[in-house]
This record gives sequence, structure tokens and C-alpha cells, in this order.
Amino acid sequence: MRRKVVVTGIGMVTCLGTGVETNWEAIKAGRSGIGPISLFDTSLFVTRIAGEVRGEFDPAGRVPAKELRRMDRYQQFGLVAAGEAMTDSGFEGPPENPFRYGVVVGSGMGGLFTIETGVLQYHAKGPKALHPLLIPKAVINLCPGMLSIKYGFKGPNFGIVNACTSGTSAIGEGYWLVREGRADMVLAGGAEAVVTPLSVAAFNALRALSTRNGDPTAASRPFDKDRDGFVIAEGAGMLVLESEEHAARRGAHAYAEIAGYGATGDAYHFVMPDPEAEGAYHCMKMAVEDAEIAPSCIEYINAHGTSTDLNDKMETLAIRRLFGSHAYRMSISSTKSMTGHLIGAAGAVEAIYSLMALKTGVIPPTINLDNPDPACDLDYTPNKAATRQMEYALSNSFAFGGQNASLVFRRIT
Amino acid sequence: MDDLETRVIDLIAEVLVDVNKENIQMSSKIVEDLGAESLDIYDMIALLEDEFGLEIADEDVEKIQTVQDVADFIKQHQKAS
Repeated sequence: MRRKVVVTGIGMVTCLGTGVETNWEAIKAGRSGIGPISLFDTSLFVTRIAGEVRGEFDPAGRVPAKELRRMDRYQQFGLVAAGEAMTDSGFEGPPENPFRYGVVVGSGMGGLFTIETGVLQYHAKGPKALHPLLIPKAVINLCPGMLSIKYGFKGPNFGIVNACTSGTSAIGEGYWLVREGRADMVLAGGAEAVVTPLSVAAFNALRALSTRNGDPTAASRPFDKDRDGFVIAEGAGMLVLESEEHAARRGAHAYAEIAGYGATGDAYHFVMPDPEAEGAYHCMKMAVEDAEIAPSCIEYINAHGTSTDLNDKMETLAIRRLFGSHAYRMSISSTKSMTGHLIGAAGAVEAIYSLMALKTGVIPPTINLDNPDPACDLDYTPNKAATRQMEYALSNSFAFGGQNASLVFRRIT
Repeated sequence: MDDLETRVIDLIAEVLVDVNKENIQMSSKIVEDLGAESLDIYDMIALLEDEFGLEIADEDVEKIQTVQDVADFIKQHQKAS
């Protein structure tokens, strides 16, 4: 049985702010959220900039202050975004049959802050110094676990660890659960808090990050020939996925339909993408076929567009290969130019931007695209948002490790 | 209530998410009256150890029942050290 799946609630926290509305305003205006890192002393670091969530990120008080200390930062982001999404969905619960309600959340690194702090305490004071909550704060499955407790969802519940693809994988797997009739509602998304000393230093060691410290808002420049790596960022995105029937029964408003999901593995290299774009091409192809549409129906792609030399070339090649001459007529953009790269939450926030693009007919820009790389010759919506009424949009995520995932969304008219 | 007792109550209130500070008395039993579960107790012990620079052994934890017991334990061990 194949059921239609709609998105009825969305919520997010990024360096552009808390809430979909705040984010969408910033995205339409082409504003960058990248700035100097304030979470730790970066004086010895090669990269000193990031897409940091600044200051108070829970203005609506969605997570009780007393509960915050029991959670890692990534879990806090996840709960705040999920709170917004659940409120937005209008679902008041409690679920009639809780076993039909699931939670799937992706994260690349989970409670990295907690682990780093624990390691320092261990070395300073020995094994007895470790905090009893280190494990629940550190592990990735506790974000979906906490959300199940909060909302009483007792159906399928799991975390997904897929580096930069985690958020898209979580939505795709959640979509399949609802589509195949295993659940009626799934809260799905990604949460990440990787602006930590270890993470920034290690990505620097891998030579993956931009070092444009003097000009942070210009650092993330996907498809531009002067790009020099991605800008690491943090936050969360959460979506309420629901069977069309369940949504209709309670009179819920839907943003869009999830129409297709593709997932492949490069089987090529542990950090580099396949330069022939074999995995990415087949991933998009699978998502489009899953949606039972022709590739030419896709009019907007929210690209993975990391601002690394290899990804942006490879992704362009994959798009050309699948869409042929239509590749030059479609709108593409990388919202990472404004948010930076939220790793395991990236796919979730980008799914939300894609839904907003479909719903409002506004294509987000790719900012800092001043001198396009000759190898990147498509319409990436440079620097200014565009308008376009469209029926289908696609969102891509590609991970270190070769995991690829693509989602196809269909506008509801 | 002396300063140390106030600090102990503050710390316990920080750990026990569902309890209002006003409802914590020195005579309150931590498990029976305040509803602490085992993980709350270990969380609390970790905070107390940090705050007062002590090490509290698991066999001592078992003897602590009330908020007053916590304050007394800290007083004794601070004097001893």
C-alpha cells in the first residue's frame, strides 16, 4: 500500500535565528549568518569562523530551563525545532494509537561538546570525575528518545548517523514509514552542534574548512571559483510528516507533499566524492523515479552546494547528467551560502527551505557567487532571490563516506 | 537556614526538574517526598562534589535520606579536610 505523505509542521534553529519565519526572511534577503566563533577561544585555530547559533535560541520557552542542563546543545536545538514543528502542525495529541507515531532524527556527531568536556574531566581528575549524564547527553539516539517522551510517540524510533546526509536520510526514512503504512505520523529531521574545538580543529586537519576569517559573511561561496572550503555550522530542522488521510481527518494545513526519496552509496572513497558523480546521479534519479515523474518536472534544486572544490563540481556534473538540457533551465541554489553547513541538520533545514520555495514561489539565492567556476555552469540563482511558480523541487545531501540522499517535494495547490 | 543549607537546596532544586524550590524543606526526604529517582541522586552527588570539592562514596550516598543529611554530610567532611 502506497500512501500519500504530506508535511504539516516545520521548525528550525540556525545561525540565521530561531523559527521558520525569521529564517525565511533572512534567506529571501540573502543574508549570511556566518561570523566569528564565540563558543571557545579560537586564537590557535586555522579557521575562526562558523555559523553559530547565537544567544537565546529558545525565546518561546519550548524546553523548560531546568531540563536544559540535562541535554547536550544538539539535543536542545532538536527539541526547540521540534517544538515549533509540532505547534505548527496543530496536532494536539495525545495520539490515539501511540504505536502509529514515530520519530526519526539524524545527527552526524551527537553530543560532541559533552564528550569533549568529559574527556578533559577524565584527564584532569580521573575516572570518578565523569558526570552520570554523560552517556545520555552524548549519544545520538537520545534526541529521538527525548522527543518520543515529550510527545508520547511510541512507534518506530531511531537515530540516523550519516554525516552530512543524516537529516535528509531521516526525512526519507520517515517518509517511507508513513508511505508504507507503518506509521501515520513521523516527526523527522536533524540536529547538530559541531562548532566545538575538536570538530573545527579536525575538519581543519582534513583541509575541509574555509579559512576566510577576515570576511566571514563571504566565506561560504558555493560554485564560485574563489571558494575555499565549507563553513561549519550548527542548529536543527524538524518536520511533521503525516499520511494525507491522517492530516485530512484532523483538518491540518499541509506545506507540500513528499513525493520521492532516493538513497545511494558512492563506494568510491572515504572522504572524497566520486568525481564521475555516479552516486549522486543515481541518487537523484532514484528520487525522481520514486516520485513517478520525468526529470524535467523538477524546477528547483536545493543543492548540497558545500562550497568545497570537489562537491560543487561533482554535483553540477550529476545534475547535468540527469537533467540534460533541462539542467540549464532549472533554478538551483545553495542555502549553505547563508547558513553554512549544518552537517547532520543540513538536509533537514534545506528540506524546509525547499518547501518554503515551493509554497511561496521564491527561489533562495546563492550568495557570494561573484565569479562562477567555469566547471559550474548552471543557474545557481546568484546573489538575489528569484521568483518561479513550480510544482516539484528536489533537495540533495551528499556525505563524507559516500552516502547520498535526495528528496522530491510536490507543491499542494 | 544557614548559607550552606541554602546552597544545598539550590543544587537539589537544579537537579529535580519537577520540584519547586519553595517545596524543599531541610526535613524533606529526597526520594519519598521529592520524587528523586536513582539517576537524579547521582546527578545531584556529582553537582555537590563539584560545588563543595568533596568526594562522596556510594556507601555514604545510601545513608543520605533527607536534605538535612546532605547538609550534615558536607559540614562533617568539609571540617575533616
